[in-house]
Amino acid sequence: MAALVPFRRSSPLPVRLVALCLIAFAPRLALAQTAAYAGPVPKPAGAILVASFNIQVFGESKMAKPQVVEVLTRAVRQFDIVAIQEVRAKSDDIVPAFVRAVNADGSRYHYVIGPRQGRTVSKEQYAFVYDTTRIEIDPSSVGVVPDPQNTLHRPPMHARFRTRINPAEMAFTFWLVDIHTDPDEVPQELDALTGVFQAMQAARPDEDDVILLGDLNAGPPQFKSFQRIPGVTWAVAGVTTNTRRTKTYDNLVFARPATSEYLGGWGVLDLQATFGLPLEHALEVSDHNPVWAAFYPAEVRGAGLPPMAGATAPVRR
Amino acid sequence: MPDIQALVASLSNGNAAARAEAAESLCRAGVDAASAAVPLVQACRDDDQVREWAVAALEELGPPPPAAIGDLVRLAGDDHALVAYWATTLLGRSGEAAAAATATLAASLEAGLNGSHDPAVSERAAWALGKIGPAAAAAKPALERAAAASDPRLARLAREAIAAIGG
Repeated sequence: MAALVPFRRSSPLPVRLVALCLIAFAPRLALAQTAAYAGPVPKPAGAILVASFNIQVFGESKMAKPQVVEVLTRAVRQFDIVAIQEVRAKSDDIVPAFVRAVNADGSRYHYVIGPRQGRTVSKEQYAFVYDTTRIEIDPSSVGVVPDPQNTLHRPPMHARFRTRINPAEMAFTFWLVDIHTDPDEVPQELDALTGVFQAMQAARPDEDDVILLGDLNAGPPQFKSFQRIPGVTWAVAGVTTNTRRTKTYDNLVFARPATSEYLGGWGVLDLQATFGLPLEHALEVSDHNPVWAAFYPAEVRGAGLPPMAGATAPVRR
Repeated sequence: MPDIQALVASLSNGNAAARAEAAESLCRAGVDAASAAVPLVQACRDDDQVREWAVAALEELGPPPPAAIGDLVRLAGDDHALVAYWATTLLGRSGEAAAAATATLAASLEAGLNGSHDPAVSERAAWALGKIGPAAAAAKPALERAAAASDPRLARLAREAIAAIGG
């Protein structure tokens, strides 16, 4: 198999990095491309970046390719939390080994991983990988959404997170619900996910922020059932999210005004453009690009984003 | 564009790593690998590394070419559950063009109802019959029995298939 081409050291900004509302992101992303070995990637003080990444067949063969692992680690380090789909391995060491690779530059990411799921012998796992210097997880919140009607091929994994700011009472807290739909039963699964979203909204009286994210195998024109969720919106629209640039399959779905912390910044981290890869090498990494959205790191109550009065930016500890 | 036929030939290589690499390359070919539908379904009985890439390739493959339907009908009745599952899935993606699979899919459904078949295969058979639509009318008696099943997923899929068949 051909080796990956060397990374470009000064490539232009990702061409599909769209609708970027926070100017602070641009230097961060540029830095990530030009100084990959200079220590942890600096992240914006005024936002957390939440991403979804389907790492197609993320298992032993992918982890055995150093060039692929390097692209994956550099991609993940761009974000505060990455919801991963398609861990497919007999080994339990794939995600731990990957997080060790992510942390090789001094980063301090950690992970949680779900059970193997699927109706056949071919199983997948979900995982959340997050930067512990900026994000905390509630360990008791990690689980799989019950699916008594067996509607979902791989019922989503949920976990509740909190930004690390001072004072902690002002932290933005939120559920993440990680999903990879069955491409052959998309309408039925999207309908079921609408119920999942509403159930998560009601799961705790003290939590109104739910972000459903993953590989939906569908784009906004197929999100009709989501309209049953009052105020529903989604980050990604009008661009493709797969590596071949032909489909919009990946997204982050949430509701407003509940999640007023959404800053309007979102993007697709195009693997080809960001890392200077030809298509065939980008496809070795995954058939999906990561998608992301930016959120204010402090809880927003009432209308509009307040200044972070009394709060500091996410801190490194 | 990769040489699909060469990759298909490599799926029969005696070396498991070579077979896995071929399955991975077919996966990366996306819908361009549609002509490899039958060999990829057969690769589902291979070892884990080959199987996972074959499954991933099948997920992205879209509908198979019409010429593959005869082989897929045969494989839908295979004893290997994953082989039968993916053959059934590809038949469903073929829609009305897979009408010739009706009897085989109805048999899968019946086998599921009497507990002698992998539930996932029977459920997919109900789904596939719905995708075939009116041309699968001969399967309505089996679907009606499945619609009354205690398994909520099988019952739902059977009801949806009956609605799609109509009449």
